Order: sequence, then structure tokens, then C-alpha cells
Amino acid sequence: MDGAMMPAKTTLAIEHLEVGFGSAASVINDVSLTVQEGEFVAIVGPSGCGKSTLLKVIAGLVPSRSGAVQMGRLKIGYMFQRDTLLPWATTASNIAVGLELAGVPKSAHAARIAELLSLVRLDGYESHRPEALSGGMRQRVSLARLLAYEPDIYLMDEPFGALDYQTKILMGRELLRIWDARRRSIVFVTHDIEEAVTLADRVIVMAAHPGRIVATHEIGFERPRDPRRLRSDPRFAAMVETIWSDLSLVD
Amino acid sequence: MISLIRLRNSMILQQTGFLLVMIGAWEALGAYVLDPFWSSRPSLIAQRLWFLTKRGDLAWHVSATLTEAGLGLSLGAVVGVALGLLMARYAKAAKIAEPLFMGLYSLPRVALAPLFILWFGIGLPAKVMMSFSMVVFIFVLNIVEGVRALDRDPIDLMRTMNASPLYIVRRVLLPAVLPWIFASFRIGVGLSLIGALVGELIGSSRGLGWYIERAAGQLDTTGVFTGIVILVVLAMLANQVIVLASGWLTGGRA
Repeated sequence: MDGAMMPAKTTLAIEHLEVGFGSAASVINDVSLTVQEGEFVAIVGPSGCGKSTLLKVIAGLVPSRSGAVQMGRLKIGYMFQRDTLLPWATTASNIAVGLELAGVPKSAHAARIAELLSLVRLDGYESHRPEALSGGMRQRVSLARLLAYEPDIYLMDEPFGALDYQTKILMGRELLRIWDARRRSIVFVTHDIEEAVTLADRVIVMAAHPGRIVATHEIGFERPRDPRRLRSDPRFAAMVETIWSDLSLVD
Repeated sequence: MISLIRLRNSMILQQTGFLLVMIGAWEALGAYVLDPFWSSRPSLIAQRLWFLTKRGDLAWHVSATLTEAGLGLSLGAVVGVALGLLMARYAKAAKIAEPLFMGLYSLPRVALAPLFILWFGIGLPAKVMMSFSMVVFIFVLNIVEGVRALDRDPIDLMRTMNASPLYIVRRVLLPAVLPWIFASFRIGVGLSLIGALVGELIGSSRGLGWYIERAAGQLDTTGVFTGIVILVVLAMLANQVIVLASGWLTGGRA
């Protein structure tokens, strides 16, 4: 036990999870998944494969039919595809929600908000309301609110899915930069295979009817990653191709 | 910004002008066309207003009516908002109570006036209850609608972050229904005055309703119109206060 090959600590363990509503057929059937501390796991799959539902079950927003979700008493940071900001509140006040719920003393708010604003590159926007911000900026406010809460695990449900291609790439780079600095566990749901391969340590492929895991791929690319350079790497193209064939095999 | 202010000033000018033209037309009609016995005249009403003010009658009646309407409106707001939030929270119970609730809502509340007088006498409480019964439904229905229109995702998000129900009420629910509360106040101002008036018409010893009723009994058209003019002015002022308060509260909230 002298420190050699200490197994990584498990943040989240899901065993034989089954989820369904009423008497209808299962939305998720027999899904097992573990996430290690500091690991970045992406889940890809077609619409209806239950990947978003899986996140909601982990977050406790949707009950499971059977199986277990073990996570200890972790602070969950959830991020929706929509920004879910309070429309009447300013950027600063929206970010303050994360600080308030994390129990950060009021006196520390101003400094922390300024710090987070510059982290997500929104300096000078603290008194804007969401309606005055673009979709990408709103999602960055959401990200800042999430970071303000300092979660132990990030559950991200297509957080950049509604953004245009270019903004999406930039947001992915921001996320990697922030994650590299803090190394919290992330479960990142997306239908964009390239995004998943760019960001994650491991990509889980799900299929629909019923929602289940059909493949798991370790993404061994070195970190820190440069998303732009990575995309021209032949290994990247090969991995994307492999996942594509996983998906087309089951359809 | 400057052109905006200019625009607003010119609007106020036009509004005042329109009002003056209408008053002038009324005066002319009363002087040359109609018998002022039926329609009175602005100049006669102005004289009466001056007379009532000097004798202190104006303050005496206005304060009575305003107290009744104000108390009824406040009580209606507090009970209505609380009831609305409860009905939104316990949707199933609300569904069960809905037919009775809508029945009461559709009931002409005037029908309750004799009952209130029987229960509370001809003093202040009967008028407050009358006024309350007019406005409370407005608040309940608006709040229920406001909560229904609410975006659930921020609430779900805060739940995953272990937010207490109190935090969600304070940070999401109340700010979200605030515009609906103000909308209720705007409708409620007029209705609360109706409630107070109806109560006064049916049985009272002071108030604008009582004054109008007595003037009519004496075929004193000028007295009736004086009462009506005061009511219109009061309603306009109250409306302005609500608009200003809502602009101030919703504009400055963070």
C-alpha cells in the first residue's frame, strides 16, 4: 500500500440503473458507469437514448426504477443546454446565486464575482441583464455561476449545444482551460462526437430504445489539449470515425 | 434621451389639452344646449368642490372612502397572494376547489353587500369586506397564472444545488410574480373603490358613496357629479402611484 499504483478515488458509481416513467418501457436500461475523481467523461448518443435523463437521475431530479447511484455528499453543479439565468437579475446577481448557495460570505462576493467574470471573459458586463447578452455570453454567465458554486462534480447537459459552431469551439476551449486548473469530475452530455473526443478522457456511447451503453472509449490524447491542433491529428479523425461506426452499428 | 423627454412632455400637453376641450364642451353644452339640472356644469361642480373643501366635508368623505378601499385592497393583496401561491403549490387541492372558487369569482359581489352589513353593521368593516371581496380574486388568479408561466429550469437547477425552499421563494418565485402583483394592483384599485362605494350606497353615514346617494335623493345633480369627479381623480391618482411604484421596484431590482 506504499502509494504505488493507488487506485483513483471514485466520485460517482452507477450500477444497473433502470429508469422509466409510469408503466411505459424503460428509458434507460441496465446502465453501469463509474467516474473517477478529476475525470472528464463525455456521453454521446442520438436523441432519445436517455443521456439527458441519465444526468437528471444523477442530479436527483428524476427518480430511478431500480439500480443504484452512489455519489456521497457531493456538491453537484448542473448546467442545462438553456442558460436558465434569472431574467430579471444582472450578470453579477446571477453569478451571486452560485456564491450564495455555496455559503460564501457576502463580503467576499464582489471580489469573487470580478474574478469569475474575467475567467469567463465577461469583464464589464456585471450589470447587464440576460436579455442584453448573446447566447454565448449567457452560457458563459451560467458557467461562471456554476464555477462560483465550486461543485465537486459537474453535470453538463449539452451546455454548448445551442451555440453556433465557432462559439461552441471557444467555449470548449474555455472549459478545458478551467478544468485543467481545477480538475473536478465532469460528466458531459453531447450529441457532437468531435466535441466529446476533444474534451473528454473517456467517451461513453449510448443507443436508444432502450437507452443503454454500447461502447466506451479511452481518449488518450495528452493534456493540456489544444482543440484546434487536435482536430487536424489523424488519431482524432480515427477516433471520431470509430465512434461513428459504434453509433451506426446499432441503428 | 432628450427626444424621449420631449416626446413625453408633448404627450402630457396633448393629454391635458384633450381634457380641457372635454371640460369646455361640457360647460358649453350645460350653458347653451342642455338643462344643467340633468348634466350639471363643470363651473357648478368646481364651486361645489370649493365649498366642500372649505367646510372640511371633502376630507371627511374622501378619507372614509379611501380608508375602506385601501384596507380592502391591502387585505385582498395579502390574502390573495398567499392563497395564489398556495394554490400554485398544491395544484391538486386547487383543482378540487376550482368550481367553487370560480363560482364565487363569477358571483356579482354586490349580492354579498347585504350579508356584510348584516354581519358587520354599517361601519368600516362591512365596506372593507366588500372591497376585499372585489379584489381578492384578481390577486389569486394573477398569481396562479404568474406561477404557471414561470420557467421551471432555474428552480430545478437551484434544487440540485441544495437551495432551501425559502431561498427559491425569495430568489425566483417572488421576483417572478412581482409584475403580476402590480398588474393585480392596477386592476384592484378601481375594484376596491367599487367595493367601498357599493358598501356606502347600501348603508353608511359618510363617504363619497353616501354623499352621492344623498345628493341624488335631493335631485342635486351637481352633488352627484361632484362625487363622481372626485372618484375619477382618486382612481387616476391611485393608478399613477401604482405605476410609479412598479417602475421603481421592478426597474431597480437585481
